[in-house]
Amino acid sequence: MKRILADVRAFGVQFMRSRIGAFFAIAFPIILILLFGAIFSGGGTTKVPIYVQDLDNTAESHAFLVALNNTTVVDYRWMPPGVAILDYISSRSINTALQIPVGFEAAVNRSRAGDFNASVSVTLYGDPTQSSYGIAIAAVNGAATQFNFGVVGRPPVVRPATADITVRSLKFIDLFLPGVIGLTVLTTPLFGMTNVCAEYRTRKFFKFLATTRLSKGEWLASKIVWYSFLMLISTAIMFVVERLAFGGSAVITPMAILLILAGTFQFTSLGMILGLYVRDTETAAAVANAVGFPMMFLAGSFFPVDTMPPALQAIARVLPLTYVNEGLRATMVFGNESTAFLYLLITLGIGAILFIIPAKALSWKSK
Amino acid sequence: MAEAVIEVRGLTKHYPDVKAVDGIDFEVRAGEIFSLLGPNGAGKTTTVEILEGLRDPTGGEARVFGVDVRTGYAKIRDRVGVLPQDFQPFDRLKPREAVAYWAALFDRFLTKKEVADVLERVGLTSRADTQSMNLSGGEKRRLGIAMSLVGDPDLVFLDEPTTGLDPSARRDLWGLIRGLKAAGKTVVLTTHYLDEAEQLADHVAIMNKGRIVTRGIPEELISRHGGGTTIVLAGAGKEGAEALAARGVPATVENGNVLVHVATPGEVRGMLATVAVMDIPVTEIYTKRATLEDVFLKVVGARMAEGELAA
Repeated sequence: MKRILADVRAFGVQFMRSRIGAFFAIAFPIILILLFGAIFSGGGTTKVPIYVQDLDNTAESHAFLVALNNTTVVDYRWMPPGVAILDYISSRSINTALQIPVGFEAAVNRSRAGDFNASVSVTLYGDPTQSSYGIAIAAVNGAATQFNFGVVGRPPVVRPATADITVRSLKFIDLFLPGVIGLTVLTTPLFGMTNVCAEYRTRKFFKFLATTRLSKGEWLASKIVWYSFLMLISTAIMFVVERLAFGGSAVITPMAILLILAGTFQFTSLGMILGLYVRDTETAAAVANAVGFPMMFLAGSFFPVDTMPPALQAIARVLPLTYVNEGLRATMVFGNESTAFLYLLITLGIGAILFIIPAKALSWKSK
Repeated sequence: MAEAVIEVRGLTKHYPDVKAVDGIDFEVRAGEIFSLLGPNGAGKTTTVEILEGLRDPTGGEARVFGVDVRTGYAKIRDRVGVLPQDFQPFDRLKPREAVAYWAALFDRFLTKKEVADVLERVGLTSRADTQSMNLSGGEKRRLGIAMSLVGDPDLVFLDEPTTGLDPSARRDLWGLIRGLKAAGKTVVLTTHYLDEAEQLADHVAIMNKGRIVTRGIPEELISRHGGGTTIVLAGAGKEGAEALAARGVPATVENGNVLVHVATPGEVRGMLATVAVMDIPVTEIYTKRATLEDVFLKVVGARMAEGELAA
């Protein structure tokens, strides 16, 4: 045990003196939390800007704009009535614009008078590839529906209502935090161990270590101990930053800690496997990136797996990080301990398989 | 005669395409510096790695402290220190930390003073708190030797400890290696520097293509294979050689100098007297003793430069 601790200490000192390693383990997750938290968690408007050209400029067209404003998701800005709308959009790189035609009030009045054929179209100009365009369409449809009910003098029968399914009062950053923790549990041990194993092999450190009493198993164990310690520190820092900067309320549960440790075990082992078979440290970086990057984006670190196309969901289900991310989200956000426990067992199982391979394959002796 | 620390009998290490070690025998006695000398690829490192328990031999016997290294190396691990070939320290550990760390891997937990003593022994006291990546090549090797000594071993393997170092750093390390012998350690030194082996080793085994082509005390090898003493008539040129030949004295010309070979030091005086009466124009006359380089040329059939055999 003392040999393991001595190796952990020496390895940790070297790791922390390597500024790149310390950056990715500690600073990078904090930057992600601050960046995504600032983008999604409040401060400033999240309304979609719509430029409105009101060619009718009547009381009814103004009432329609009041209905549009009541949707609370758009922020309308005036466009001069005398300009060509497409030229105006093009010259100012506008994403969405609404045109209320001449005769809007007249059509409304005909409808109120009992003319069932009376109608008028408001035209929404926009770029369908922009997500804001979908929000604008929904807002204009909502405003039109509300306005139409007003015209016929009937209140809406079916009204939408919302209910929070989370057990705690959560912000976006609370949903994001487990993903960033999962991402860190993936990247730091995986990239670190791939490089360490390749370096130890090419620089003949394994051979040198073989002349000591430290066994192969002790060396492997010390790396898992170090990365586990590092991940717990990193998680604690992320948690504190989330609380202090954004007033988050996600909870670090005992199950979350177990998942973090199991995930660290799993990705440290995977890094060992990759490091044992790559040619040198340069190749190690490329291989770790090739394995790690797809997992970062496909395993639900930044957005839930359920929102992905079916083919990608199928891929996500075979990625080990998926179970770490989903397990952390289950216990930290939804308080669903049984699901988290199942994912913990899956993570431990995969980790055990991944650990056995380097434990068998790593040879400190030359052939 | 001191006890045998290492006994090697008929040792072989065969790979599908090469016989890296091809049936070698030697012994190393306690307290001596034993040098395995040979070009790159001769089998030196393979041999010492078998003795260090890092490779399994194909056949033969290798015993260290009477223990078969194939099956019982763990029993003698604490009595052996190793400086591997191409040693590189852990870049971001300071020598003070590296020595303490390495000792802990032998279950020895050194005090600060003990660590300082080890560093002083190898002359690294002033660099004890410098990250290893900032040490010079010679300092890195010194650190490697310090790490190999943390268990206070009786036997130290130094695998090409001076390769790639400048002459000054090499000579500094020679002093350190002599110090190990003075402290009673047995040292196995592999090298491809002939002068290094000649300066340091009590016994030398010259290896080539997996075999030991000759072995013994350097002086004996030089007497046996080196061919005595050479008188150099500097600047005598071809005319000088012809004049000597006319008197029945065989001579060769090398770089404008005439070389006259005598079998024993006792013949030097008579030969000089012969030359003195011939009135051969020379700029300088001096004698050159045979070295291990001459031995190597004789037994291997080629010269060696930086570990490579010259054509």
